[in-house]
Amino acid sequence: MPVWQRIYQEINDPNFVLICAAQDTGGEAAAGPIFDAANPTYIQVIDEDHLVSSAFNFVNVPSAAWIDEEGRIVRIDEGTYSKVHELGAGDQTISFGTDVYEPALKDWVANGAQSKHVESAATVAANIRNHSADQQKADAAFCLGNLFRRHGMGGNADHYWEMAAQLNPDSVNFIRQNLTLSEEGSAGEQFRAMRDNFERTGKDYYRPINIES
Amino acid sequence: MAKAFMAYPELRDPYVVKDIHPKGCATVLYQGKATVLSDIGSGDGLLINPKDLQEINGFEVKPEGACFEDLCIPLNDRLLVDQSGRQWFDLAAFADVLDQPYVADQQANVWSFAEIPAKRENTLVNAMAPDLELTDRSGNVLKLADLKGKKALIVTWSSW
Repeated sequence: MPVWQRIYQEINDPNFVLICAAQDTGGEAAAGPIFDAANPTYIQVIDEDHLVSSAFNFVNVPSAAWIDEEGRIVRIDEGTYSKVHELGAGDQTISFGTDVYEPALKDWVANGAQSKHVESAATVAANIRNHSADQQKADAAFCLGNLFRRHGMGGNADHYWEMAAQLNPDSVNFIRQNLTLSEEGSAGEQFRAMRDNFERTGKDYYRPINIES
Repeated sequence: MAKAFMAYPELRDPYVVKDIHPKGCATVLYQGKATVLSDIGSGDGLLINPKDLQEINGFEVKPEGACFEDLCIPLNDRLLVDQSGRQWFDLAAFADVLDQPYVADQQANVWSFAEIPAKRENTLVNAMAPDLELTDRSGNVLKLADLKGKKALIVTWSSW
């Protein structure tokens, strides 16, 4: 989040809006302190129901959409890392992310429709994931689980969160969100098994970034 | 044992048990909004007061049909149901007509509806930003449609 604040300040354009939306059932308690630590001046949303992911058919974080002045989406659904990250040390180091996204974003804000990173409506439409009726139903089940949770009915919440994960097995969001609230956490054995399964079956953990540097 | 990475089990169930709505009511979830309905019929489906439809999903019951902007769904006796001398609108039957998925918890009488596919076409086919309304951390309501005239980047992230 501090990286996005830096990028937002560097862009410093009154006609550019940055919205960061935490997909967090844990709400303010989970996401609030992370926002606060970044001293952000961009728009901060804590999206317990994952409404943003649902509206754009995202299945993982971070994902993003670029929306132009006419309300048209000009890029969508990429693993929106603002830089290359490294986790661990030595042979165990895992690196992920990209350093091409930030310059591409800045180019678009500066040059608008003339930017080479702007995609046609047909390309964007093709890049929006096609969600089946079951996957749409998964979003409804997830929101139902959240309502039960907010009313102190954890057992019912679990039931509908499980239903959501089964109806949309492509959603990394649902699987990891559920694991977050377990003792194991969202980066434990079950997460690694899910990621291995994604790789084995050729499912994309993120849609690949296709940005010319 | 050290706490697992990105684990918040203490946040699983931090809330006090409370009723979702008063006895005899139903709750409808749609686009992040919960609408509590006190005027409901009984039996199969979800029979609501036709006047409550607009508050739930923007559709309005008119003589020519249930309408939202240019879209009008003709009414029939599956959608408008006579019961106990009154006319009700069956929201579940309406969802079926619209191919709108939903999940109902009959015991709690809570109905959660996915987005209406007809409202999604402008995004999925024409790549226009969805009709999305969000509330920021300060409580301000933000509509994507209101950002016209500016460029916007909307990024998801998570604490996990």
